[in-house]
Amino acid sequence: MGYMNRELHTTAAGFDPVDQNYSIGYETGHRDWSPFPRVNRLRKAFLDREYEIDVERFRNVTAAYQENEDAPTVLRCARAFEKILMNATLFIYDDDLILGEIAAPAKAAPQYPEFSVNWMLHEVLHEPFDKREHDQHFFRCEEDRREFIELCRYWQGKGVDDLVNSQLTEEQTKGSQTGRKIFQTNLYHYGGVGHFAMDYAKILRIGFDGMIAQAKAGLARLDKQDPDYSSKRDFYQAVIICHEAAKKYILRYAQLAEETAAGEADPARREELLQMAANSRQVAGGPAKTFWQALQLFNYATTLTLIESNGHSVSYGRMDRWLYPYYEADMREGRINKAFAQELLEVTVVKMNNPTKVRDGGTVRVRQGRGFGGECLTIGGVDEEGNDITNDLTMMLLDASVHTRMMCPWLLVRMHENTPYELKVKTVECIRAGYGHPKIFNDAPTIKAMMRKGCSLEEARDYAVIGCVEPALPGRENGWHDAAYINTVKFFEMVLNGGRCLDCGPHCGRWSVCGALGKHLGPDTGSLETYRSFDEVLESVDRQFAYWSDQMCSTLNIIDQAHRERKPLPYVSAYFEGCLENGVDLTAGGTKYNGIGPQASGLATCADSLAAIKQLVFEEQKYTGAELLKALKDNWVGHEKLYALVNSAKVHHYGNDDDYADELFRFMFECYCRNLSGRPTIRGGQFTPGVYSVSANVGMGLNTKASLDGRRAGEAISDNIGPVHTAAGSHDIKGPTAIANSVAKVDHSLATNGTLLNVKFPEDAVSGRTGRDNLISFIDAYFAGDPMHIQFNIMSSATMRAAQKQPEDYKDMLVRVAGYSAYFVELGKELQDDLIQRTELRF
Amino acid sequence: MSQQGIIFDIQRFTISDGPGMRTEVFLKGCPLRCRWCSNPEGLSQTLQPGVYSAKCIARENCGDCLAVCAHDALVFSEGKLSGIDRERCVGCFRCAEACPADAIRKWGQVMSAADCMEIIRRDKAFYDRSGGGVTLSGGEPLMQSDFAAQLLRACKEEGFHTCCDTALQAKWENVEQILPYTDLIISDIKHMDGRQHKEYTGVSNERILDNLRRLSRTETQIILRIPVIPGVNDNDDNIEKTADFILRDMGGRVETLQLLSYMRLGLEKYQSLGMAYGMDGMTFDRGSFQERVRKIRDYFRGRGIDCRIGTSGEED
Repeated sequence: MGYMNRELHTTAAGFDPVDQNYSIGYETGHRDWSPFPRVNRLRKAFLDREYEIDVERFRNVTAAYQENEDAPTVLRCARAFEKILMNATLFIYDDDLILGEIAAPAKAAPQYPEFSVNWMLHEVLHEPFDKREHDQHFFRCEEDRREFIELCRYWQGKGVDDLVNSQLTEEQTKGSQTGRKIFQTNLYHYGGVGHFAMDYAKILRIGFDGMIAQAKAGLARLDKQDPDYSSKRDFYQAVIICHEAAKKYILRYAQLAEETAAGEADPARREELLQMAANSRQVAGGPAKTFWQALQLFNYATTLTLIESNGHSVSYGRMDRWLYPYYEADMREGRINKAFAQELLEVTVVKMNNPTKVRDGGTVRVRQGRGFGGECLTIGGVDEEGNDITNDLTMMLLDASVHTRMMCPWLLVRMHENTPYELKVKTVECIRAGYGHPKIFNDAPTIKAMMRKGCSLEEARDYAVIGCVEPALPGRENGWHDAAYINTVKFFEMVLNGGRCLDCGPHCGRWSVCGALGKHLGPDTGSLETYRSFDEVLESVDRQFAYWSDQMCSTLNIIDQAHRERKPLPYVSAYFEGCLENGVDLTAGGTKYNGIGPQASGLATCADSLAAIKQLVFEEQKYTGAELLKALKDNWVGHEKLYALVNSAKVHHYGNDDDYADELFRFMFECYCRNLSGRPTIRGGQFTPGVYSVSANVGMGLNTKASLDGRRAGEAISDNIGPVHTAAGSHDIKGPTAIANSVAKVDHSLATNGTLLNVKFPEDAVSGRTGRDNLISFIDAYFAGDPMHIQFNIMSSATMRAAQKQPEDYKDMLVRVAGYSAYFVELGKELQDDLIQRTELRF
Repeated sequence: MSQQGIIFDIQRFTISDGPGMRTEVFLKGCPLRCRWCSNPEGLSQTLQPGVYSAKCIARENCGDCLAVCAHDALVFSEGKLSGIDRERCVGCFRCAEACPADAIRKWGQVMSAADCMEIIRRDKAFYDRSGGGVTLSGGEPLMQSDFAAQLLRACKEEGFHTCCDTALQAKWENVEQILPYTDLIISDIKHMDGRQHKEYTGVSNERILDNLRRLSRTETQIILRIPVIPGVNDNDDNIEKTADFILRDMGGRVETLQLLSYMRLGLEKYQSLGMAYGMDGMTFDRGSFQERVRKIRDYFRGRGIDCRIGTSGEED
């Protein structure tokens, strides 16, 4: 497989003409992108709503746990799910055509104490959510806040994190988020399991009744001689409880819609409400019979997953594929026209934005955004036989994206050698509209990566992307993507300084248990003062990677096990192949493919550091290793010459298509992948390395001392798989083709948890027909080198500076922050500055 | 491949000079001295140091350039390198080599066609997919016509589309040298009046116009440009004569006529070279100038010439 430049065409058509131009770059003052006034009103209502905290789920889950203290955990979870659904206040918003929230009002965050209340309690008392610098959430009233605190007390000691913390040793925590932050396991440590794509085709086909029937059949099949008999029985019963509850919950919505219709004066709206009620009655137990019902059931199924757990990046799989049969049948039978199908899609897309959650402050500092995040929606690509699947919905979902321009879904287009030209044109028209979607994935290396995880070729071709850039099999994989952020620059300090942090000293919170006792944070694998050859440096990197991977991976396995013990997921398990067949919960490894996927940041910072060491110390011998180390410890103060030199073009830098530096990047990339890949996880499967930082490179930089790439302490480390940019300047100076060539020199399929390249183009570089064609050609040529992913920010630094100054005028300006889209004005100042500073690539 | 060229820059991923994505090789040295020139580093064929004072980290922190300059040619002000005494400088470039901060740039390097090809080749995938290729620019590439021909030929041998951006102030035999390996010539008419031409560019326009006439009788594709300079060549009379020339003398054989509105580009390079900018003191109203350029475009179109503003080939 390879990426060729054949010009293939399709008859698939969206709502707009394929080459519709949506103007270039972000425009202020425009609110009405959609041709459907309803969609524009829904979008505005969403943007105008406040981010709130809702305690209803918290109250109900607590009551359910108290009522079922002696029940097996999986049944307790099911009863809690049932209680939440039976007591949830339901909402039907004006103009809406699709029902279902996450047991909280739109844009209000429910609470999930099953995972961790320690940070919740700490923050509500000492670092209030509404006083955060960004990502604030607001209590509706003081009573809610008091109830929140009261409810937290019940949960202390009962969370997933409590079970984890009781098992962690000093050696495991010293480098974690509670120690020196070499790796941060926050996501699953303090929150729920998500980062998967459910089998939507199955739920639409068999409905909740079908799920229940499968569980009942499983129950009937059970053999009492099976030593796991009781756990399987409990699991099946839990599945049945959850899905029966889901049915009742949906019928409650149907009833509410009927009641609302009865009081509705406008006959057109009354008709819509009655249709929504009828749709709900159909999908409460049965399969979807129409396009509208398919979208309705999709939304119920997804929001129910978010009610069960607060795991993020619950992704939508290949929507143009699983939804198409319903669209095709309705169109064929004349039950629907394209305009209404488009309107329904856009209403659904706006609705995808409603779920929000409160994250712990530590996570928020490295990863911003108040949505659940990571709801990747994959379109395009090939079927099991390798044929392109582009259809009307592929185009219509792009139209829906550009007509709504919101954070969700994180639209992703799969491209391959036979992607039709029209789809490329449509994709690029959306990209250059500058709202941050879609991102693009390259099939060839991704399919190879899937096969490295054990998939057959046919399965691999059906991958969808989860979260930012993590490829996974919908309905067959629980990949635990985004499992931990690895700050490779921080652990590189151990490489430079004999296993010690650069700032090792009495001011450190760990001094009394570490330095004061003559200990090191990491093993002493040599220091810049002792290395006699560059090979010794590389060897040291490898040994540190191995050591810190040991600490991180063993920690992640403990966390994984704690989820299995404290928070099984009987509702969502039904959507994954293997769970109902074998009576095993998703968290216990019930589905076919399992894994744990952490992600590395700062590889380019390390690579440029290696280049400085290799060139200046071992080749030119201009400086000694000790001098370099001294400069870092002094944060470059008094070493202006060396600081200028390592930031100058005289030292080799990654990202310039310069083999010298690119080879060192390759070493870092491969060393990291090698040290993680193949390690077994507790659920079966293996650890999968990713190379992406999202926006965490900024937060991680704050905690990291100076580095030899010419970074001062506190500056952002390099982002994703991209080159270095320090305060002294960008290290890539040869333009976008050089970056593309550098990035394509590593084998991306080794990073089975995904890689990410962010490229920012100024508005004027992509304008006109020429600009569009060049962007398409750029993607084609770049993908020919077999990298995995690319996404673009189309905006000028001037636009971003203006947005910093007048945030109110740019409220809806999306920016793609390394893998996910966020509203620019909601980002912290450092992250905004980081974005502005990123090299502006000019055609 | 014995021929060596003097090159002042190789830019990857340009899209303005020729179709698609291109690598642009800038050859150093030019017989013209256009006052509005935006590439002053391309004028002289001699290698020149350029000083970027803002990048200097100050004598007290470094002084490496002073330590290696044997000719006392470095000029400091307020502790920072501010310029080079071009009378004293012998062009050894030891200062540029010593500077850790990229504050002294060596404008120009001697390269063989093979050296250039090594860089050019790296973006083959991008040329292939975009219909792009290689553009020689400058300076005036025809001042090094042997080298230019050799490089263009090497490009053609590897299947790359080739373009030469030239002022055509050269002997016809030098133009003929490159034609077999050149798919597209980009050239310009700066002024139809010989005396005015000499006034603003240092040379008369006879040879240029003559070359354009001859070129129009070959098979080579031609894109013609007018750098529209307010108050210099944007008057009705000159525009009319330019149109006459294109239609009569060149038989209308240009693909496109591109109007490049004057912009104050390259100031920082003049400064780095210690040179005065030829358009200093000229002021004009951008709004009415833009309007004027549109009128000029419309005039050419009215004469049946495919005229665009800018280089993108867009319908504006």
